[in-house]
Amino acid sequence: MYQTSDIKKGLKIELDGAPWTVVDFLFVKPGKGCAFTRTKLKNLITGNVLDRTYKSGESLAEADVEEHTMQYLYSDGTDFHFMNMEDFSQLGIPVEVVGKTSDFLVEEMEVQVLFFKSNPVNIDLPNFVELAIEYTEPGIKGNTSQGATKSATLITGAEVQVPLFLEQGEILKIDTRTRQYVSRVR
Amino acid sequence: MSALGLRRRATVLAALRTWFANRGFLEVPTPTRVPSPAMEEHLHGLPAGDAWLRTSPEFALKRVLAMGLPRIYEIGPCFRAEESGPWHGTEFLMLEWYRVGAPLSALVDDVESLVKACADALVVAPPEWTHWTVAQAFSNLAHVDLATATATTLSDHADDTWDEAFFRCFLDHVEPRLPPATFLSDWPVSQAALATIRTDAHPRAERFEAYLNGVELANAFHELVDAAEQRTRFEAANHERIALGYEPHPVDEGLIRAVGQMPPTSGIALGVERLVAALCGWDSIHPGRVSNDAD
Repeated sequence: MYQTSDIKKGLKIELDGAPWTVVDFLFVKPGKGCAFTRTKLKNLITGNVLDRTYKSGESLAEADVEEHTMQYLYSDGTDFHFMNMEDFSQLGIPVEVVGKTSDFLVEEMEVQVLFFKSNPVNIDLPNFVELAIEYTEPGIKGNTSQGATKSATLITGAEVQVPLFLEQGEILKIDTRTRQYVSRVR
Repeated sequence: MSALGLRRRATVLAALRTWFANRGFLEVPTPTRVPSPAMEEHLHGLPAGDAWLRTSPEFALKRVLAMGLPRIYEIGPCFRAEESGPWHGTEFLMLEWYRVGAPLSALVDDVESLVKACADALVVAPPEWTHWTVAQAFSNLAHVDLATATATTLSDHADDTWDEAFFRCFLDHVEPRLPPATFLSDWPVSQAALATIRTDAHPRAERFEAYLNGVELANAFHELVDAAEQRTRFEAANHERIALGYEPHPVDEGLIRAVGQMPPTSGIALGVERLVAALCGWDSIHPGRVSNDAD
């Protein structure tokens, strides 16, 4: 159990059966009232953000969470298989947990896997990945017009919007948080 | 702390003293070391030897009012244990002033005028004030009818008392959405503290608070002048302190006597560092303070 005086950025707590992390907090005390700590919490599974105010002396449940660095091995169609880089144990993680960034995974990529009560609940990819274009309409040479884009399918199956001049086989830098093209890798 | 911040604070302090001098207020420094630090159950004093550091100059200034001085003010350090953060310091600079015989509305005018004087001195735009009752603020911002609200309407925490639920709703839904400069008047009777209670159809504490940029700037009372009622409230607050697991505060007999002798008066306390920060647009009081950390 944590006390309100333990609240700091990054503290991980359990609330309504889910793990949350403190993104921001502020000590507040109305002139004639008792002290409160106003918090902004982020759900570690869904990413939802919640404002919650704790009264001084209230206790907060500690979230049973652990993070492990794991390497992506392969997918068998239902599960994505990863290897724990500390003890080399292997684990299959269902697609629902791997989430919508699963189409950026390439073999040997190292990711951060969050475990809540020993179950994998979320996967954090590196912020930037470099992936080759598997298919896109032929490029229009010299067309660097601002804002004009076309669709490109990457070798992992992910579809992203890219500038018109890019060709098949070129390697791109992608921001996995926004799914946006960042630059061409030469 | 910053050199610029300290200059800004000095500008505000000078503007405040000029404002009070121009209106015939007497500056009265009173002791920081006092026999009792506070009455309210949620204010925690710091012990100082066999006495306490004051949480506000209120008790001493009321003894001065009882002597017959009609317009007095003090600017000085006050201390509240267990309070620190962007808008709180364990030690902070408080301004209090009192107007004998004046209604609470006179202090609303004072705050507007004094904040404008400070804004002018800092060469920033003075705020435009919104005047709401507490009930109007809850209705407008939290969509709650305070007159009929129960603890469970105000908060989803089952074990909250009505006051706790009130503040939780206030902090979650009202305070963050207040207009930039707002007066909130007519507080619930349970939060009267040292204010009179208006006993009409809907009893309310004759109290207002001023908010600037969502931060509480000042708290004003139409002061209680009934010694017996004052003693009852002091003892009730001590019972509440014991129930909450805190040491009771000594009953300040000098205050009780003074409350029985002073004429009807309106009084107000204002956080000087918060005023400076709000007018300068800072996100904490700390640029305008000297910290104890050797950095």
